[in-house]
Amino acid sequence: MEFFKKTLDPVIALAAIAFLDIFLFVQIGAWTVGGGETMMAGLIASFFMGTEALERIPFWQLVFTPDAGYWKIYISLGMLFGAVVGAVASGEFFIRYPKRLSEWVMITIGGILMGIGIRLAFVCNVSTFFGLTPELNLGGYLSISGIIAGAWVGSIIYKKILGL
Amino acid sequence: MMSAVGECLLAFIFGSIIGLLVQRSRFCNTAALRDAILFKTYRNTKALLVAMMILTIGFTAFISVGEGNTMRFDVGLNQVLGLFIFGIGMVLAGACTVSTWVKAGEGNIGALWALIFTFVGMFLFSLIWSFNFWPPAPAAMTGEPMLKGLQLGYANAVTLQEKTGIPAIFFGLIQFGVLFIIYRLILRKEQTV
Repeated sequence: MEFFKKTLDPVIALAAIAFLDIFLFVQIGAWTVGGGETMMAGLIASFFMGTEALERIPFWQLVFTPDAGYWKIYISLGMLFGAVVGAVASGEFFIRYPKRLSEWVMITIGGILMGIGIRLAFVCNVSTFFGLTPELNLGGYLSISGIIAGAWVGSIIYKKILGL
Repeated sequence: MMSAVGECLLAFIFGSIIGLLVQRSRFCNTAALRDAILFKTYRNTKALLVAMMILTIGFTAFISVGEGNTMRFDVGLNQVLGLFIFGIGMVLAGACTVSTWVKAGEGNIGALWALIFTFVGMFLFSLIWSFNFWPPAPAAMTGEPMLKGLQLGYANAVTLQEKTGIPAIFFGLIQFGVLFIIYRLILRKEQTV
């Protein structure tokens, strides 16, 4: 199938995603990832710590109460499934991992910063560009200013580490 | 009104198509910002702008006729700070919230590692929040500016429409125009290189 042989133009892919997102916006709400990930973090923590121990942390009572029936979780699981299908069908699935210790360190720090940033802001990059800003939400403009400044600082660090 | 199971099913189908399209197009939100800043290449930036233009028109058109489910929560300094921290993190990790899932689905262990530590970061933040209770929890949000909590309240196309009496699509067209100008500037820049 041609679709799995050639790389799709990202403009076409993102235009299609935009129309799907409008449909989702009308049905249940715009595309977001951070909220589902937070709920998953709570469910994982609950699995390892036990429900009672988690309930002693106010955040998991007042902001996010772990709930496996939260629809946003399934967007992320769907993305994983869709990517596996695409990668397998196009012969692009193979196990690869960072070779250098510095890469592992950067990914670890980067992941932690992403998690902290999402929860501090109540939004992720997807909500910023595919939800809040098209809704003309003030939070979208605040988030865009933050993410551009952060990406700029991150790029300087990245450049120094890679010696670019 | 859709049932909870229906919502989860719709979300999964939506996510699956997104995952497939992102995997086949190699779109990356991190690259849309990082590559524009570092390498002056705009493949992903242009795609992001096109999506935002379509979404702006689509969302505000539906809001104009009283449809759509907008996100409702107070915003403030925490959005700037949070996305600033997130922006640094995504460049260091080489992936954002979408590409961690998509790259993990391609067998990329580094992306899976980033995803695991995103969860760790969220859990760490939950501990910090439980000491200072900032930003305010949803139940404490008022929709109005609250300077003590560094919150500006709640404002979007719906509130603009309610306060001015002008349909949201009008403001959507203005934002579309701004995004289109940025898109044209990028095209012009590419042609001169």
